[in-house]
Amino acid sequence: MHEFSRRYLALATKEVQQLCRNRGLLFQLLVPPTIVLVIFGYALNPKVRGLRLGVVDQSFTAESRDFINALTENVNFKVTHRYTRTKDAEDALRRLELDLFLVIPTDFSRSLSRGQVANVQVVIDAVDANTAQIAQGYLRRALDEYNAAGVAIPIREDRRARLLVRSAHPAPPPGMPDVQSAYLYNPGLVTSWHYVTGVMSIIMFINASLVASALAVKEKETGTIEQLLMTPAQTGEMLLAKTSPVFVLMMVVLIVALGVGILVFGVPVRGALWLFVVAGAAAAMAGIGIGVMVATVSRSQQQAQLLTFFVNPPITLLSGATSPLENMPQFFQKLAYLNPLRYFVTIVRGVTLKDAPWSALWPNLLALMAFAAVLFSISAWRFRKQ
Amino acid sequence: MRKTLAQAMKEWRLFRRDKLLIALAVAMPLALMSLAGGTQSLRLRNVRLMVYDYDNSALSRIYLETYGAALTFRLTAHKQGASPERELASGRGRAALIIPQNFERDTRRGAEPTVQFMIDATDSNAATSLGNLAAALNAGFAQESGIAQLPQQKVRLQQRLWYNPGLSNPVYFGAGALGMMLIIFPALLGALATAKEYEVGTIIQAYASSLTASQWVMGKALVYVFIGLVDFVLCFTLGVFAFSYRIPSNPSVLIVATVLYLMAGVFFGMMMGNATGSQSAAIQGVQMGSFLLSLLLSGYLFAVANIPPQIRWVSSFLPATHYILIVRNSILRNVGWETSLKPMVALLLLSFAFFALNVIQMRKMQFKG
Repeated sequence: MHEFSRRYLALATKEVQQLCRNRGLLFQLLVPPTIVLVIFGYALNPKVRGLRLGVVDQSFTAESRDFINALTENVNFKVTHRYTRTKDAEDALRRLELDLFLVIPTDFSRSLSRGQVANVQVVIDAVDANTAQIAQGYLRRALDEYNAAGVAIPIREDRRARLLVRSAHPAPPPGMPDVQSAYLYNPGLVTSWHYVTGVMSIIMFINASLVASALAVKEKETGTIEQLLMTPAQTGEMLLAKTSPVFVLMMVVLIVALGVGILVFGVPVRGALWLFVVAGAAAAMAGIGIGVMVATVSRSQQQAQLLTFFVNPPITLLSGATSPLENMPQFFQKLAYLNPLRYFVTIVRGVTLKDAPWSALWPNLLALMAFAAVLFSISAWRFRKQ
Repeated sequence: MRKTLAQAMKEWRLFRRDKLLIALAVAMPLALMSLAGGTQSLRLRNVRLMVYDYDNSALSRIYLETYGAALTFRLTAHKQGASPERELASGRGRAALIIPQNFERDTRRGAEPTVQFMIDATDSNAATSLGNLAAALNAGFAQESGIAQLPQQKVRLQQRLWYNPGLSNPVYFGAGALGMMLIIFPALLGALATAKEYEVGTIIQAYASSLTASQWVMGKALVYVFIGLVDFVLCFTLGVFAFSYRIPSNPSVLIVATVLYLMAGVFFGMMMGNATGSQSAAIQGVQMGSFLLSLLLSGYLFAVANIPPQIRWVSSFLPATHYILIVRNSILRNVGWETSLKPMVALLLLSFAFFALNVIQMRKMQFKG
């Protein structure tokens, strides 16, 4: 045992010294959590606001203007151009000056005054399917509100209180059951929390694999691996010594990332912090395992880096960190079970945002640890085979 | 010109020797593109909805069916006796629907029972749309079952969805993915090749040779732009089959843009290689500077207009922003030069700027003859 610790310490000191000399690597390890996290948190915003709306008002009456006002009195649409001919609006949509346009026909106010249904055409640039869908939703709601506006709703005594609650939704017709939505864990619907927690997990995992592969392959490239293999140290010890400084650094990164999340974005920590740390340790181990594995199959740093480039995007995409797994095709959903990062993301969100019960988290923790153990032993085995 | 070609030939021979690099350069874009285009979707599907039906009447079951019929939800059972809060916290479902006792009786009386809909809002975007969907389904239920009449419609909207009538996410992300694929690999290869010269020390030969800085840079870039074009053809073919790309009626826009874009990418990569002089640092630079920023800020995932103005200016300096716009213009909207002119000029300026920076870096070091 004494022998082991002496050898381990000697090797680990060497690694730490090498790491300290490698400023670029240290920089790369510690800067991304802060900068990337902040950019991600602010930039990734699926909320759609201020859609550019063109209007072709052929009716030109008080009623049509009233209708346009009703649609645009929210923050979702802003009228940027008015056209007299539909052709002009079509061209503007083609030139990307508009996101959508309305065509109000000449008989708009006449139909309304006769009590007929007036048809209004809306053309949406649907290339961005998500935005188009949201725009449709906005339109539908604004229209419901407009349609409901003229109708007298008999207000009973007990209704009044409820009307306040759902000021966001148009008043429903009387007699309808009332759905009250409760938004748990994130009642303010802060967008950044979801991405910050997701990206935090990605950074941990990806960085660990990148750095580990870079370090492991460097010995091979410079030829010093032979010297290492000649030392009395065993491969296990060697690997342990090689990866433990990275591991410690990754834990620092984890704390820094969480700190940024809490301080900059106000991410809550509702669950047990130790679970977060343990899971982070397991994720770092799994990441390092993947990194070393990549390093053992590649001959140069160039190849190693390219391979990690190949391995990392699937891990990131199939983790549910940025887009929900349920949305994906069945095959990819099955594939995602093989992704260690997915379990880590679940735990991170479970601890920070949700205070998930232990019964829900332990299977994830177990899976993550199993992956860490398997990946690490495979990489040790591959390392020895050299 | 002859010197530039000679430099390009030398570069090509070097590239050809690395079998793994060739395999990666060809296989990676294809694999990544199918993954990126196929998995990214913001449309909610199969959301597990846990049902707490305390009424158990005919009407409450009809109410449930309204939710079950929506493709978005998949009704799932909850554990016996577990509270919805606990079930949501443990992630067994994304939302819970709680129908109160006497739901049917109250509805028939016109007493407007309150149904609770609890949503796991960790993903706030999804939560918002689930809330809206619930309100819409509720209204639909009331109308279908004849409980309440919606107010008489005064105005009806007739919607036309142009360019992507199926509102398909793969189509949208698939088109953007082309831009993402073409920024990674050519830039990476350029960075690696340049940094390698520094690591091996052969850069001194370039300094000492009679090649001018711009000839050297052009010759090197030419090969990687060519490889990028091969990638483009491969990815485009994949796109035609997997993401319903249409061949634009005026392909010249797309082709010119692709060449400019590839040049911008390769020059950027070479710049990184020149600046860092080490392969791994250059890869990091490309990863941060071009891949990550492009992924986040180019409008590939979310529209550029959604980015807060403090950092939105960054996206106009990313070639990917302009290229993705042109790709979507050409493939999906099928509009010609007129619309794509502005991004095209931007691409031209960017690639020229990167080229000039490369030349300046090289010229500083070159021996004066």
